[in-house]
Amino acid sequence: MGFNCAQVQRVLNQMSVVYLMTEMNERSSPPITLIDPIDMSKLDPKFRNEIKSMPNGEELSACFACSTCTAACPIANMWKYKPHQLIRMILLGMKEEVLSSNEIWLCLTCYQCQERCPQKVRVTDIFFDCKNLAAEEGKIPPNVVALAKELLTKGQLYTVTADWEREDMGLEPEVPGLSTEAIKNILKDTRTSRIVGGDK
Amino acid sequence: MTTYNLYIGCSVPVNYPNYEAAMIKVAQAFNMDLVYMEGVGCCGSPNLRAMDHRGWITVNARTLAIADKTGYDIVTPCNGCFGSLKDVHHHLMHDAEERAKVNEILKKEGLEFKGNAKPRHFAEALYHDIGIEEIKKKITKPLDGVGIAIHYGCHLLRPDDVTEFKPEYLQELVEVTGASVIDYPLWKQCCGATVLPVDEDIAIRLARDKVKSMKEAGAAFATVVCPACGNQLDLQQLGLKESYGEVYNLPVLVYPQILGLAIGLNEEEVGLGMNRVPADPILDHLSG
Repeated sequence: MGFNCAQVQRVLNQMSVVYLMTEMNERSSPPITLIDPIDMSKLDPKFRNEIKSMPNGEELSACFACSTCTAACPIANMWKYKPHQLIRMILLGMKEEVLSSNEIWLCLTCYQCQERCPQKVRVTDIFFDCKNLAAEEGKIPPNVVALAKELLTKGQLYTVTADWEREDMGLEPEVPGLSTEAIKNILKDTRTSRIVGGDK
Repeated sequence: MTTYNLYIGCSVPVNYPNYEAAMIKVAQAFNMDLVYMEGVGCCGSPNLRAMDHRGWITVNARTLAIADKTGYDIVTPCNGCFGSLKDVHHHLMHDAEERAKVNEILKKEGLEFKGNAKPRHFAEALYHDIGIEEIKKKITKPLDGVGIAIHYGCHLLRPDDVTEFKPEYLQELVEVTGASVIDYPLWKQCCGATVLPVDEDIAIRLARDKVKSMKEAGAAFATVVCPACGNQLDLQQLGLKESYGEVYNLPVLVYPQILGLAIGLNEEEVGLGMNRVPADPILDHLSG
């Protein structure tokens, strides 16, 4: 079965039309995969070692950027920087961007990324490390500071108000064995106290 | 009778006295002696871990050290407490340097973390120490034909090398009551509780997706083993009418309520009246 010249010409015309349209689209807006160039002078080459020395950070550089972590994350679609990008950014030394990002605080800590990482990078734990570094620099959401204040001043996150509910269930109105003093004592010597102090 | 250190945490006694009471009654029925720990407080939750790792380690090491003194394991009804205690226990067992630092602080109180007392979730203690066969013998009001969707909660299952909790444990614990476990696509997904302080909209969307997934798979009930997850799926469900225009009417029971009813405790004993989404259908089933 063959084509006559007219048919071939028509197909070629269609192809060229499609081709031209694609070209025009590409010219009007750059592909979404393009991101702003990284400013090399702002990279902190020590950042990766800092994270690697923190709890469960050792496997960091085993990341081969497969983005399985991002596929596993239930809310990555709402993140500007996806989990695999944050890991890559740590490796590159983009300390400022990582520690200022809202994403590290939005992490659900559901561990689905970490569970599925084929390279055994402890992604969720590494984000915990990042949050600790961010907190040390005072980069911490106000509502989390409020929780720090609760823990430091009350020694707990929830305090019994409706003790009749406990009595209805045949429980003692006060929580048996509860001591909040020891917690307050521990936290007054750690970062929690500095976070709350900085808030004053 | 086996004795356990009961670490109740701060959310269960405040927000879920029905969970606390149902757990204690179920424990009594199976000869588990739960003794409230003396002199302990909040675990700090993942929030403390996020901002103050040192403080979080020390607070939880202290709880573990108090348990070490008694010689009994810890049980807790809260995934947050379980996650914190289990993680710190794991961390200190694998990091001698960190352990020495923490013990230096604890020494002031005459305490030492040894790691002998294991932190355990109440559901895991039921599963391993009592066992499905023994539980089966006490089922007098089987929940035959009731489809229950399990929400495990992230910090119960993951990271699995730390938590050592397998989904099958809870699955078998539900099945032994006569109920059937409903498979649903989002069974592994987070309830959203952790981001509640940072982004309420995301937290509510996650809770909604979860409830929707359970309901669409045909669940008559959901069960949880954590007050934070319970709050997300039960209390927040009421708000979905306003935020999403959706009503699911999916009752959410903590596991000891389900087992409690199946071994013959009545609705007051397990505090069903405190559940936010009315749990009437399960009572209809039991009386009918």
